[in-house]
Amino acid sequence: MYESLINFIRSLVYVPDEGMVHAGLPPGWVLLVIAVMLMMIIVNRAAYATTRTDTGSKSYMPIAGEYIKPLVTTPWLLLSIRIIVASIFLLVIYAGLFGTPIPERNLATVLTWTIWWSGVVISVFFVGSAWCAICPWDAIASWLVRRKLWQRGSEASSLNLRVPKMFRSIWPALLMFIGLTWLELGVGVTVSPYATALMALLMVVLATVSLAVYERKAFCRYFCAVGRTIGAYSSMSPVALRPVDQNICADCKTLECYHGNDSIEPCPTHLVMGRITQNTYCTSCGACSQSCPQQNVSWQLRGVGDEVTYASRPHWDEAWFILGLVALTTFHGFTMMPYWEGWMQQLAYTIGDSGKLLVSFSIGMFVSMLIPISLFSLSTYITKRIAFDREHFQRVFSSLVICTIPLAFSYHIAHNLTHLFRESQGFWSVVANPLGINALPLSMQELHMRHMNPLVADDIVFALQGMLLMFGFWLAIRIAKQRIVQLGLLATGNKMALLPMTVFISVITLLNLWLLMQPMIMRM
Amino acid sequence: MALALGKLTSGKKDNDLNTSSIIKVSLIIFLGSILLAQSVQAHHVLGRPSYSLSADSNTPPSMQVETQIGEYYVTYMAYPAFPKPKEAGRVNLYASRIDNGNTFDGEVTFKVKDDSWFSDKVETLGVQQLDDGVYRQGFIFSEAGKYIISAEFESGGEPYIIDFPLQIGDPAPVGPLGFTVAFLLLVIVAVNIIQRKRLQRLKAQQHHTDVTSI
Repeated sequence: MYESLINFIRSLVYVPDEGMVHAGLPPGWVLLVIAVMLMMIIVNRAAYATTRTDTGSKSYMPIAGEYIKPLVTTPWLLLSIRIIVASIFLLVIYAGLFGTPIPERNLATVLTWTIWWSGVVISVFFVGSAWCAICPWDAIASWLVRRKLWQRGSEASSLNLRVPKMFRSIWPALLMFIGLTWLELGVGVTVSPYATALMALLMVVLATVSLAVYERKAFCRYFCAVGRTIGAYSSMSPVALRPVDQNICADCKTLECYHGNDSIEPCPTHLVMGRITQNTYCTSCGACSQSCPQQNVSWQLRGVGDEVTYASRPHWDEAWFILGLVALTTFHGFTMMPYWEGWMQQLAYTIGDSGKLLVSFSIGMFVSMLIPISLFSLSTYITKRIAFDREHFQRVFSSLVICTIPLAFSYHIAHNLTHLFRESQGFWSVVANPLGINALPLSMQELHMRHMNPLVADDIVFALQGMLLMFGFWLAIRIAKQRIVQLGLLATGNKMALLPMTVFISVITLLNLWLLMQPMIMRM
Repeated sequence: MALALGKLTSGKKDNDLNTSSIIKVSLIIFLGSILLAQSVQAHHVLGRPSYSLSADSNTPPSMQVETQIGEYYVTYMAYPAFPKPKEAGRVNLYASRIDNGNTFDGEVTFKVKDDSWFSDKVETLGVQQLDDGVYRQGFIFSEAGKYIISAEFESGGEPYIIDFPLQIGDPAPVGPLGFTVAFLLLVIVAVNIIQRKRLQRLKAQQHHTDVTSI
């Protein structure tokens, strides 16, 4: 029985004839994940949803912030890190523009795509939205526009216009995310140091213009795809900036966290610390903790997934961004499978695409995004029908979509582990020679050496990937049940209302599992 | 970066997607993608570098792509990988049938066009016969820039066109940097001037209001 199951799983793995690929998740792990999924479904059906409604922001756990308090209360420490990160960022631009075009020998491509883009998603799991606090795009934009290293800029430094109403949502961030994914995977920016540098320059331009024209930090709040991705994922993070004592905030009349003070900037994303329940828009910049006269803001520990389970209330635009994350992370996985290129060529052949296959890629990307979006919409619709619910579709959709965050986050991390642990061996060589002067492309011997000697043993990577998928699935069905109870969809006692979302979550998890089973093409 | 991908014009018309039933947001996503596809002149890599910088031999690296087009496996190689202006280079094309492995034996026409936004000029580099299993075409470019070399042949009554983008010389590094710095300076100076005038106007209005109220 076990052998036949293992053989069946093996038959689902596509083994390419040639080319260097990373091994996929072994059948044993696949079987374990599926078994645990089945168990969780049974347990979830039997268990009652908890009725806890707190925000997860209370400091019922010990405050870890005491040890890192200087990070958020002393501007110089954060400023020092920002200067270092911005310097590295400028070096990336310089290396991209003036260095070798060989991607694996240039700091720009290795640091940006293999280390940073892979690592930043993983970092959210441990430090929430801390990356935004040291983001070089914003740091450089702030220094240019405000002409202050950390203090509040003069009124004349920005037009301080309100963002037009049509842009006061994260639709722009979603469109930018789609655009960046298209550039990354379709155009191939990841293998072009020059294009990577151009993209970096573009981000600085967007952040600077936005800061110069609009009030506060509109780029971070509405437009930045990376920031909004981090924001969505950080709702699962075990750390967040929160009030130490909620009562102090309740009695506060001056709201320095929102308005700032003479020397400290106001909250860049219009948050009031006393009312914050979601991490979505917190950039961890520390302005609130520095300006609070009571020093009542600190990093706090909380339960992993507490916020996303109990407190997150996404609006319509935020719901679509989350769904976009699910679709795009899965799409990322597809494009790195050995058969993807064959599919695209077949599509190009069918429609007579141009030589660059950009239309074929765009269609492939669209279809890949459409499938999970349609499945989720259908699941929401069926849930409503089963529960005879008269709520507006939009409200149920926005409420249930939150259960997809763990799916996207867990797969995103699992996928990025492969890049980070199996493709970053050349990092120190590009640090030693950032521009890749006189460097030759990787020889087959070097490529094999890298392939055979990953930073972390394959077995550990597999274990992490398997556990991540199980964790994502467990949290997703837990949230789905919680939300369905909150919406009153189980009021009629019809437990079948849980079924559509359980099926959707299972399908996406199995799809992600299948993607992790497949060999993945080495990027560099 | 460059890449080459095959274009097979087999006489079939482009498929039109019926978008009427697609929900609004998905339509925006799709149109956005297509718009980008139409407007950005860049090269597609299908999720990975579609070329490899071959370094198997002792020769300097070449840029190459292996792909499957219609009935053929095609390998296309440009040498050197990063050619400079006024430096001789060549492209090699290998084409073998997928079904029986037989090498394509006919004529291949190599053409070149400027891969810039405002140019559609095409020049024929030459017509080559099979030579020891390879079609070889030499080139010398006088100016740096982005070009597309196309190899065209006909088999089974169907035309095959394989495009291979090629960067001659280094892309201008100072241009984008200079443009960015100049643009940002312009924005910052303009914003400062406008904002100072706005603040002065506001102060004047405030002063006027204060005087009137007294």
